[in-house]
Amino acid sequence: MRSFLDRNSINRRSLIKGIGAAATLTLAAPAILRAQEAPLRLGTLTPLTGAGGPYGPTMVDAVRKVVDNINGSGILKREIILVSEDSQTNPEAAVRAARKLIDVDQVSAIIGTWASAVTTAVAPMCWESKTMLFTVSGADSITQLPHDGYIIRTQPNTTLQGLKFGAFAIELGGKRVFFLTPQTPFADSQFVTITSSVEEAGGVTERLIYDDKKPSLRSEVDQALRFNPDVIILGGYTPDTTILMRDLYRSGFEGHLIGFGYSINQDLLNGLPADVVEGAYTLSPSPAEGSKAYDELAELVGVAAPDTYTCQVYDHINMILTTVAKAGGVSGTEIRDTIRSISQGGGTVVENATAGIEAVQAGEKVDYSGASGPCDFNDIGDIVDANFRYEQVVDGKITLLKIA
Amino acid sequence: MSFDILPQALVNGLMAGTVLAVPAIGFTAIFAIRGYPNFMIGAMATIGAYAGWMANSSAGFSLWAAVAVAFVAAALIGLVTEKVAVRPLEASGALTMAIASLAMSIVLENAIRFFFSNNLRGFDTPLERDVVMMGIRFGPQQLRNLLIALGIMVAIWAILKFTRFGRAMRASADNPDLARLKGVEPVRIADITIAMAMGLCGLGGALLAIDSSVDPMVGTRLLLSIFAAAVLGGLGSIPGAVVGALSIGIIEEMTVAYLAPAYRLAISFIVIILVLTFRPQGILGAKVR
Repeated sequence: MRSFLDRNSINRRSLIKGIGAAATLTLAAPAILRAQEAPLRLGTLTPLTGAGGPYGPTMVDAVRKVVDNINGSGILKREIILVSEDSQTNPEAAVRAARKLIDVDQVSAIIGTWASAVTTAVAPMCWESKTMLFTVSGADSITQLPHDGYIIRTQPNTTLQGLKFGAFAIELGGKRVFFLTPQTPFADSQFVTITSSVEEAGGVTERLIYDDKKPSLRSEVDQALRFNPDVIILGGYTPDTTILMRDLYRSGFEGHLIGFGYSINQDLLNGLPADVVEGAYTLSPSPAEGSKAYDELAELVGVAAPDTYTCQVYDHINMILTTVAKAGGVSGTEIRDTIRSISQGGGTVVENATAGIEAVQAGEKVDYSGASGPCDFNDIGDIVDANFRYEQVVDGKITLLKIA
Repeated sequence: MSFDILPQALVNGLMAGTVLAVPAIGFTAIFAIRGYPNFMIGAMATIGAYAGWMANSSAGFSLWAAVAVAFVAAALIGLVTEKVAVRPLEASGALTMAIASLAMSIVLENAIRFFFSNNLRGFDTPLERDVVMMGIRFGPQQLRNLLIALGIMVAIWAILKFTRFGRAMRASADNPDLARLKGVEPVRIADITIAMAMGLCGLGGALLAIDSSVDPMVGTRLLLSIFAAAVLGGLGSIPGAVVGALSIGIIEEMTVAYLAPAYRLAISFIVIILVLTFRPQGILGAKVR
């Protein structure tokens, strides 16, 4: 009787059979091999709580659904692993979450940082670890950091926003424009550009930086009113803007109020009596309403009019997936080096990841154009062109005035 | 330096300080009786704000009734939470209890987010324009808040001064062992103190929310100022909490008027450091030997 060892040992014949089988499998089943390609690990770092809380959940939903669709179709030929973390609209919490995404989850890209203070805190960790950062924050200073190309921003920067605010204040007949803002990374640059716009038209400006954690802002309003402004620009987020608008209404201020679209939003309208917000103006980067990508996104997330941040992260994920298809690799550096070859420079216009990946696989040159706009970037990662939505609260509803 | 803004800044400071005094009394009362700083006060202010808002906007209660609901809700939830999550750690010392209360504060705040989301809410009350008297603006709702806060302070003073419970509470704060020998039940006193203190925090949160908005950060915005007020006045001293709150309110508004809003907390804490340097027990606190 043969021993157990003899029965289980490998002889020459069985070795040849094994090699043959392995070779057959390799040639006959490329799909199996493709499934074994390195997965693409991505992270979202959006504000699920805090001042940006109204936006974060829908942003994540949009990214998740795009990932699910591509994973379901298998078109990318590698698994996409998506990890979502909450920035809490708080730089300290965001740094902890980013550290986890980079060190533990080993993501190649972080998507959707909202609020410039958050993005400024997270950015150095990203470029040090060669992780791409796709942000919707606006402060000029973000893309001026030494990020070595690892930041892409779809939000118009604050220089552009400040110029638009200043010009609109003048358009409303403003000669004395006051800027009330909390301390943010863009408070200075925005005031400078607002001032340049207003002074060019013969007006004057003044500003006050307030503490957005203060429960009452009456004294701050008193300070602003001593300037006798005819236009007040509100630079804060929804919670502090709510308090400011209450105190401005109580004070009897009769001039024009202009705020960011992300602060004077439906949440703010729900939290304040109608006559307090009636007539207030808002400015915000305009999504590409009417575009195929915008309509697809609206259907995907089940929201009739997706906000600009959801549009931007939708473009982030679509661009990343198309980039990975073209680069053939999944590292942050490969995404950095390849993204501009699919986002701009002409070619077949694609408006979602499926179309982008198919075009890339067919060997075509592609030019992504998304729900937030054309998505063309300069050398430091800023978006080149953007339209703005000008809206006003009329009869308790945010009403579009113009897109320009 | 312009002195024409001084009266308005003083009035704004007094108004803010009076509302701050209500939860500060609660915070310092817990410290006096239980011997540890309970940081659930922020969460209780938020719970009070939401309870008052629900009573007002969903159940149609008047503002006065809504404020009472805020007190009761925060008192009940605060007492249960303290007994379940903090008091079992009594043997581990004051620091452990303080940390546990901070942890529970975070848990409660996130529970509120879970149930109510981050959306801003507002009390169902018309917003009135300020009235101007002698060049100083007063908000009608702020004046009402001032009256409520003053009424609460007088009621607490009367309870402590003239009732049997008040005497027992003061006895427990002064010398718990002697009070126990005299038949004061420490657990009962602790329960009532915690419930009353948490209720006051809830009431303070509701008053603030009536004047601003209801959101999960209501209590967080108050927390540091309440703590500063109690420390400045003297931890454990109820009159000290009132003096501390009024002082912090005035200091903060003066900082806004004459320096810059960004420095308001820094200036408050510099004042606290200065006061504690010369009077370590705070303005009205008792010396600890």
